[in-house]
Amino acid sequence: MVVRPSRTSEPGRGSRLRRLTLASTGALGFSLSLCIAAGDAASTRPAAPAMSASHEPTATLPLASQRVLVDEYCLTCHDDDKEKGGLTLQRYDVARAERNAEISEKIIRKLRAGMMPPPGAERPDAAAITALAASLETRIDRASAVRPNPGRRSFQRLNRAEYARSVRDLLGIDVDVTAFLPPDTLSHNFDNIADAQSFSPTLLEGYLRAADRISRDALGDPDATPGSTTYKLPRTASQLAHVEGAPFGTRGGISVVHNFPADGEYMFRMMLHSIPTGQLYGSTARGEQLEVSINGARVALLDINPRMSESDPSGMNIQTPAVTVKAGPQRVSAAFLQRFEGPVDDVLAPVEHTLADTQIGSALGVTTLPHLRDFAIVGPHNVTGVSETPGRRRVFTCRPLSPDEEPTCASNIVSDLARQAYRRPLTPDDVNGLMQFYRTGGEGRDFEAGIRTALQAILASPHFIFRLEEPPATARPGQNYRLRDLDLASRLSFFLWASAPDAELVDAAARDTLRVPAVLDKQVRRMLADPRAATLASRFAAQWLRLQDLDKIHPDPLLYPQYDHTLADAMQRETELLFETLVRDDRSVLELLTADYTFVNERLARHYGIPNVSGTRFQRVSIPDVNRRGLLGQGSILTMTSVADRTSPVLRGKWVMEVLLGSPPPPPPPDVPDLEETHAAKEGRLLSVRERLEMHRANPACNSCHRVIDPLGLALENFDVTGAWRIRDNGSAVDATGTLYDGTSLQGPISLRQALVSRSEIVLRTFTENLMAYALGRRVAHYDMPAVRAIVRDASAKEYRFSSFVLGIVKSPAFQMSRAEKEADP
Amino acid sequence: MYITKKHISRRTALRGMGVTLALPFLDAMVPARTLLAKTAAAGRTRLSAIEMVHGAAGSTTFGLAKNMWSPAAVGRAFDLTPSSMSPLEPFREYLTIVSNTDVKNAEAFGPKEIGGDHFRSSAVFLTQAHPKQTEGSDVHVGPSMDQLYAQRFGQDTAIPSMQLCIENVDQSGGCAYGYACVYTDTISWAGPTDPLPMVRDPRAAFDQLFGVGATPEQRAANRRTNRSILDWIGGEIARLRSELGPSDRNRLNEYLEDVREIERRIQQVEAHNTSGEPRELPGAPVGVPDSFDDHVKLMFDLQALAFAADITRVFSFKMGRDGSGRVYPESGAKVPFHPASHHGEREDRIAQFAQINKYHVSLVPYFLEKLRKIEEGDSNLLDKTLVIYGSPMGNSNVHNHKRCPLFLAGHANGILKGNLHLKAPDGTPMANVLLTLLHGLGATDVGSLGDSTGTFDLTGVPSTTEMGLGA
Repeated sequence: MVVRPSRTSEPGRGSRLRRLTLASTGALGFSLSLCIAAGDAASTRPAAPAMSASHEPTATLPLASQRVLVDEYCLTCHDDDKEKGGLTLQRYDVARAERNAEISEKIIRKLRAGMMPPPGAERPDAAAITALAASLETRIDRASAVRPNPGRRSFQRLNRAEYARSVRDLLGIDVDVTAFLPPDTLSHNFDNIADAQSFSPTLLEGYLRAADRISRDALGDPDATPGSTTYKLPRTASQLAHVEGAPFGTRGGISVVHNFPADGEYMFRMMLHSIPTGQLYGSTARGEQLEVSINGARVALLDINPRMSESDPSGMNIQTPAVTVKAGPQRVSAAFLQRFEGPVDDVLAPVEHTLADTQIGSALGVTTLPHLRDFAIVGPHNVTGVSETPGRRRVFTCRPLSPDEEPTCASNIVSDLARQAYRRPLTPDDVNGLMQFYRTGGEGRDFEAGIRTALQAILASPHFIFRLEEPPATARPGQNYRLRDLDLASRLSFFLWASAPDAELVDAAARDTLRVPAVLDKQVRRMLADPRAATLASRFAAQWLRLQDLDKIHPDPLLYPQYDHTLADAMQRETELLFETLVRDDRSVLELLTADYTFVNERLARHYGIPNVSGTRFQRVSIPDVNRRGLLGQGSILTMTSVADRTSPVLRGKWVMEVLLGSPPPPPPPDVPDLEETHAAKEGRLLSVRERLEMHRANPACNSCHRVIDPLGLALENFDVTGAWRIRDNGSAVDATGTLYDGTSLQGPISLRQALVSRSEIVLRTFTENLMAYALGRRVAHYDMPAVRAIVRDASAKEYRFSSFVLGIVKSPAFQMSRAEKEADP
Repeated sequence: MYITKKHISRRTALRGMGVTLALPFLDAMVPARTLLAKTAAAGRTRLSAIEMVHGAAGSTTFGLAKNMWSPAAVGRAFDLTPSSMSPLEPFREYLTIVSNTDVKNAEAFGPKEIGGDHFRSSAVFLTQAHPKQTEGSDVHVGPSMDQLYAQRFGQDTAIPSMQLCIENVDQSGGCAYGYACVYTDTISWAGPTDPLPMVRDPRAAFDQLFGVGATPEQRAANRRTNRSILDWIGGEIARLRSELGPSDRNRLNEYLEDVREIERRIQQVEAHNTSGEPRELPGAPVGVPDSFDDHVKLMFDLQALAFAADITRVFSFKMGRDGSGRVYPESGAKVPFHPASHHGEREDRIAQFAQINKYHVSLVPYFLEKLRKIEEGDSNLLDKTLVIYGSPMGNSNVHNHKRCPLFLAGHANGILKGNLHLKAPDGTPMANVLLTLLHGLGATDVGSLGDSTGTFDLTGVPSTTEMGLGA
């Protein structure tokens, strides 16, 4: 079988006739000329909304050449016999790629990432691989342009983050929803995927409790009875330095904004850390004092008795006398007076993570200081009423002067609250239903109690908790329909702000103008410029990049004494700030890989070896060390892909494949021995992680995947468990070299970054897929890929600015439309 | 088995609301959430697993000779007088003592682990597995027996299980001897790497169990408000359904099921309250009491109430913390707990330590009495409850884990007969007893627990003989 395709056109750049030598297939070796054609893609680009930007034509291949490539290079493994990776292409026809879009998209993904054919197998020219992918894409995109599928999802419910933000926007108070609502299920990285949001009686009970508590917190509770709230300090948080929010001149301790339910007397109880035998940790320090302050003003100064012990009647607790505090959110701090500044000169130098071993807490020769363990607020006693609070100012927009005025005023207040909470104009039924709660709650006597009960009902209402999208009555099953503008407004605000739309957005939607492209464009840009768009960093990017995993890693404190909770927080903030900058300054998304600047505070700067940064506040710095540029040089990513006592090139490689390339490696087969079971030492010498990994990889069954995964992670071996730069691992010089699955040679972080940048197409698609899943609240499916490709293509004309991806998604059919379902069978 | 089809009554409820639904579809709806509180499962055994740290005076050679923990006789005619368990005499009919079991997995397995017993033992008590020595996040031990039970049967109730403690906990970070604090902080492990935090503040536990509201009147008012809100939500959902597509309608129906379930729970609580039994606490606790005595009793109150209202059936309760220097004035001993446990094998100090052990045990009858007073069906809750009380340490002076203190209280729905002292053959793992209890609780699919080597007969009566001082 010899195929000799003809040249179809001469592209402007890059593509030229190539000769590919195919290895022997069967008895006959033969050579094949493949011609790479380009140019027709532009004319066949799908005519979906917002896909008008020009882009560089992509090389495609004639059909016959595509078939040869699939037959010669894919079928060897992906036939009915071997079915490697659970995939057979024996009946797959490139000419009908669009009919098998799900398989075609799998092929495209692997080809674009350069992961297929696998390392070790015979490979055609890289340009041929790209051209095959482009050909399949062209065919699928063309079909999708004719029959776009916007997909559909069922309605979303407010998750923890969205509930808390909606409450803050509605009532101006911060609530800890983790006390009420169960954790959200993650699906494909995100906590807002509609069909993973299950219901349970526990969830409903949680919403009811939250509604009760929040309505009281917002309005204050003159009937409040004494209770206690305990704030715990992470044991791994450093208490040597000033804590953000606490008065200057203090060290350690805690600073929180606590919502006091009523004006009254409260007591503050501090528990201090003890050494294992029960005496005060830091008992060698004399004259230590603990200050309690409210909004920066001292309300108590307590001496710490260095002889205090668990065996005392009140144990390790110190308590203030009763302190009168007004209702509402107040900043409360409990912190130690700072008695000296600068490095400590002692027999043993103390480390940041001072509680790594509490046994040193009474030892002479190691400077240790008392540490706060938890902080409890107990009260109120002797309630005198409820003062004005931000929540009350927001809710009580009118004040009835006589009982006659009460119903009208109440109706105004309830309507205002409900309109914002329901994210739409109200119907008379809505108001009537809620006013019943006003009447029964107040029993006709107590105006405020009535309002509170109505507010409680609003917060528990399905109109608030659920984001229902109503299909038009005329939509026939299987037909695509456009969302109502009000539903579009909610989609927009939960995408960009993780909260309810504001009045301006609701107004635009209520006038049915939001769908007008110019209006939509303007609203999106306004929203991206709003501080609330920071949730794209703290929620979207954090989940896409798996930043939540950072909390789960506690590097061994004996090996990494410089690591603690405070440093981990700074690492997470650094990543979020980089992403916030992309959003706010509308920069290229590729800067995630290449940024030559970052954000550090003193702790993090010291960790990275960046000079001249002091204080807890973050500042933008340029990165002198090229190795550290972009996400792959950030402590957050490097730490969370390590295990407690060693780096994990496997986890790091997996992270790159999964998060940046969108191609996670398959899970390991069962009964694979753990890396910990390979010998840690040989011939009297500790082995490096690389050496242990190589022993582990000697098993051929493991090697087929690990030769893909490991080199990615090994290229980052110069970064230790905590992301600090190192040149030795267990005494051996770090070897960060390797061969990428596509044959590219790697010599450390710079070359890995370059390899990813050279495959930026797939990185950008992966980013777009994730952003789209987060925006839509559903998993991105194969039928979304034409839109994903179009968004990336269009963004290329805008230097991959962040807003071009957001606008691309917002204007896609998947975001603006839905497909009506077929009726369920009775 | 908690996965079940719907109650007929609930279908009727749906119809009664004017909701037209294809019934076969209802059956196809996510079924696992259906609750069985009113059916046969309601009588299922309640479990409270209590850990006390630092072993017992009775585990020393001197204490054994003086029967400071295990009585001299096995079988039914044992004398509790010299034992730290003497406060349990009034509940003899409900008491099953299993003496002479070992917790081998709390021992040091290598030179680096020697001395770290206080920072390892608690993690072993209910898992009977050996904790990995680490101060990092790579903690590893095993699932605990309370969780093995809760994972199988806890879904019947509003809260599958709850974890309580008396001393403070830190959750993360290292404690000493290279062990993460979490090994010392909790006795409940959902899986080998999944420690469950324990609640120390009785008010926090109270709010979780019984809802917000400090007084019975406030809680009653809250229940009324919630009922009317639920009623209204039901109406709103019915209104919304007509505007939505089929799958969204189905999701709303699911939610409606939950609305009915919560309504049912509220009714259940109200039925309890109107039956005239004093099942409500007079007032919610304010916070953590200073007194150990008050704190422990409050935690027992909560457990009894939650068992009675069938809000949860599984508690684990950590009454102490390894290395604790607390003084228990009520015990009569003025020495702090940890120093007292290192008695240097001096007879007078062992006797003093026994006083502390006895004081700890003396708090348990308060709980047992509460359970016995609560009637359910034709028996009382103590008949339906399994209380496990023990320590993963034996002779704390030398940090060994042999002849560890352990007793069981309650009839656990018939798997225990009470009034029995069983002495295990030397070297028997405590795990065998816990595994047997798990099987008795219905978790018959659990093949082994930690270092278990088999099961242990908990009801057979050995012939009553005076035992020598072998061991």
